[in-house]
Amino acid sequence: MSPHSIAFLATLVTSILIVLLIDRILRPGLRSLLEQIVAFPAATEFYLRALAIVLVCAAIGAALGSSFDLKDGARFMECVWAIAAGLKDVLQNLFVVLLVYVGLITVLMAALRRKQ
Amino acid sequence: MSNEHYLIVSYFVVGLVSLCLGIAVYRVLRAPFATIAEAATGRLRSRLLTRALGVFMTLAAVLGFLSVSYTEKGCRSYEAIVKDRAYLVQTNQQQLQRTGDWIVSAVFLWCIVVLICLLALRSPTANHRNKT
Repeated sequence: MSPHSIAFLATLVTSILIVLLIDRILRPGLRSLLEQIVAFPAATEFYLRALAIVLVCAAIGAALGSSFDLKDGARFMECVWAIAAGLKDVLQNLFVVLLVYVGLITVLMAALRRKQ
Repeated sequence: MSNEHYLIVSYFVVGLVSLCLGIAVYRVLRAPFATIAEAATGRLRSRLLTRALGVFMTLAAVLGFLSVSYTEKGCRSYEAIVKDRAYLVQTNQQQLQRTGDWIVSAVFLWCIVVLICLLALRSPTANHRNKT
C-alpha cells in the first residue's frame, strides 16, 4: 500500500469517526430542543436527518478533495503531516456546515417563538 | 487496465454513484418531509412538493458531478488527460466532492422550505382551516 493510500484512508476513517462523534454529542440535546420548539415529530426527524446528511457529505467531500503529495518511501512524519492537512480541510468544512445549521436553527427558533 | 479504459469506466461509475447519492438523500428525507408538507399544504400539494424534493436532490447531485471539467475549460488536451492516471483519480475525487457540496446546499435550502411550511402550519388561517 502506498503512503498516499494510507494517508487517504486514515483521513477518511478519522473524518467518519469525527462525524459520528459530533452527531452523538449533538443529537440528544438537539432532539429535545426541536421537540420543544417545533412540536411536530416529523419536522424534528427531518432536521435531525438533514444534520446527519450535511455532516457526512461535508466531511467525506473534504476528505476526498484534499490532495496528498506523498512520494513512495515517504517518512512517517510526512504521512502524519499529510493526514493533518487533510483533517484540517475536513474540520474546516464541518465548522462551516455547523455554523450554517446553527444559524438555521436560530432562525427557526426565532420565527416559531414569535408565532407562539 | 489502460488509462483510457479507466477514464471511461470511472466516469460512468462516479456519475452513477453521484446519482445514487442524490436518490439516497431523497429517500432519507422523503418520509418526514411528506408528513410536514401534507400537514402544511394538503395532500395534493404535498405530493408535488415531495416530488420536487426528489427532482431537486437528484439534480443537485448530478450537477455536482457535471460541474467538474476534465479539460479544465479547454486548457488540457485529451492526450494529456489520458496520460496522467493520478489526474484521473484526482478528478474522480473532485467530482464526488462537488456532489457532496451540492447536496449540502440543497439540503440547507430544503430546511428553509420546511421552516416556511412550519410557519404556514402555525398561521391563524391554517389553524382555522384545520379546525373546520
